[in-house]
Amino acid sequence: MEYLQQLVFALVLGSSYALIAIGLTMVYGILKILHVAHAGIYTLGAYVGLLVVTHITRNFWAALLCGMVASGIAGVIIYRGVYYYILRRPRIVPLIVSIGIFAAMNEFYRLVFGPYQHAFPAKLRFPLVITPYFVITPRQLLIIALTAVFLLLLYLVYNRTKVGLAWQACSQDLSMAGAVGVPVDSAVALNFLLGSALAGAAGVLMAFYRNEVFPTMGNVVAYKAFVVVVLGGFGSIRGSVIAGLLLALVETFLGSLEWFEFPRDAIAFLVLVLVLMFRPRGLFGRL
Amino acid sequence: MRKLALGLLVLALVGFSVAAEETIKIGFFSPLTGFAAADGHAALTGAQIAVDFINAAGGIDGKTIELIYYDDAVKADQASAIARKLIEQHHVVIAISGSYSTPTRAAAKIFQEAGVPMISAYAIHPSIIETGDLIFRVGMGAPVEGVAGAHLAVEILGAKKIAVLTMDNDFGVSLSKWFVKTARELGAEIVFEKKFPLGEREFRAMLAQVRLKNPDLIWATGYYGEAAAIVSQARELGITAQILGQEGYDSPKFIELAGDASEGVIIVTDLNRDSEREIVQKFLAEYEKRAGHPADMVAASAFDAVKVAAYAISVAGTDPERIAEAINGIRHMYDVVTGPFYAFLGREAIRPVEVQVVKGGEFHFFHTFYEPWIIIPPEL
Repeated sequence: MEYLQQLVFALVLGSSYALIAIGLTMVYGILKILHVAHAGIYTLGAYVGLLVVTHITRNFWAALLCGMVASGIAGVIIYRGVYYYILRRPRIVPLIVSIGIFAAMNEFYRLVFGPYQHAFPAKLRFPLVITPYFVITPRQLLIIALTAVFLLLLYLVYNRTKVGLAWQACSQDLSMAGAVGVPVDSAVALNFLLGSALAGAAGVLMAFYRNEVFPTMGNVVAYKAFVVVVLGGFGSIRGSVIAGLLLALVETFLGSLEWFEFPRDAIAFLVLVLVLMFRPRGLFGRL
Repeated sequence: MRKLALGLLVLALVGFSVAAEETIKIGFFSPLTGFAAADGHAALTGAQIAVDFINAAGGIDGKTIELIYYDDAVKADQASAIARKLIEQHHVVIAISGSYSTPTRAAAKIFQEAGVPMISAYAIHPSIIETGDLIFRVGMGAPVEGVAGAHLAVEILGAKKIAVLTMDNDFGVSLSKWFVKTARELGAEIVFEKKFPLGEREFRAMLAQVRLKNPDLIWATGYYGEAAAIVSQARELGITAQILGQEGYDSPKFIELAGDASEGVIIVTDLNRDSEREIVQKFLAEYEKRAGHPADMVAASAFDAVKVAAYAISVAGTDPERIAEAINGIRHMYDVVTGPFYAFLGREAIRPVEVQVVKGGEFHFFHTFYEPWIIIPPEL
């Protein structure tokens, strides 16, 4: 029964990994850019949520909505303001630019909001699940449920709408898609909007779950999401979700063992090395 | 014309050196950026308050103190570079570390080699003062804090089964080493032991295992971010065991982040906020006025480090050997916040060890250790 409880922890952790990795893999799928600044967008969502919660209303849903909107817009600004102009350069150029944006965002948060951790005093009524085998707290249930809803919506957008069709076309061949009349520019902008909004949602959710917001909260997320994307296969959303859950499962079970001395966060790096050595295209990648 | 220019240059140089003689330069470094920036700013504010208090009271023999500070970002290489800069460019009389163990240790080596005394405000690793005869510490060392924690856990709180969670860095490892050793000697059983990396926020998997062992007390090392996560997640899992922390918890941020879960948490530290001594209340009020939030032990320790440095310079002048002698000669220094300092033994301040408890969302007095076998470092 202890294992069931650990399974709940893994599910929550995996949901947070999946939410942040999806945006990263969506961007990579179309533009082939390793969008490191995505973790800065995640932090932005948390800070915007914090502003709402501390200045306007304690309502969690308001914070979530504002965080998602602000993150989505910031994502589009980064695309239209920066990436758009360097898409045709070698891939290393946007990568370095992206790292620069991420570092600048972190320093911006520190200058504006201070170096301190801030508590996240949002209010939310959500059910508590108690069974003889495990307990799911309201915040945990919220993360699992919201992730499921977002994934379902994303699935529908990808497979049932014209926008999704345009994304699929763009990810297969950007210039060909443009040639046959797909509005590439707005499709990519929408892709950034949605992917970044999901990262913002992850930021607000984790801020609420862990009750803290701080400038460097995206650092661990940045490389964890990268590992999840590599493991799942670049550009594969399904892969990112499954990889996120897998990584969380391994981390949770190994992390709970008393004799396991290896730091939990290092497991991700080990996974990264192994995947790159033996299956560089990841679990579901097309590469 | 050339003569005039030369004369002006000489005059300027003389004037400059005279002006330079007017102030006494104290070097200072702390993390103003990076994950420890909050502590770095607190330490800097604490040190500046001490400098302002001393200057307002007439300085040292009529000379004012100037604090020259740099940001080390909790990085050893950056701290080394700062140490060189403070020595070679600024010619500081003495330096103060307002930083963590790893950068402090790196800087200590350079100050010792250059023959400049250094005082560590709150970095706790034992090897810092082992660097040499010019390196001092006003904060509590890890051995004292760990030993005091063990006495508190076993003798005062009556714990028999203890779980130990250790942050895997200089701070956590050295604290837990002495805690575990002493707790075992006092007859307690360590039922669970595990390390976690700095910055960890996900303790539920680990705590679920702790819950299975049903300990009466959890000794968990960490800075306030880790501490808040441990405490709130332990309570979320229904663990009711007493949680015992140390100076890493000693920040109003811990209570803010952990919320109601922080109630009843007990910590070993060196700042007694309920002290009736005038200097303590004066410092706490001034800090809150400047920073906008209550002071913590980091700020108080940096304040005291400046006080000790100023005292030493006032009796010994600027000669490094004599400054060291003056600090070693300190007896019953009452004009400090985390004291009184009874003496400096092995270049470490000997003072009562404070125990605080979180009550009503604030740290309050719980106990004070005066016993010599607890407050004097065990290696001495």
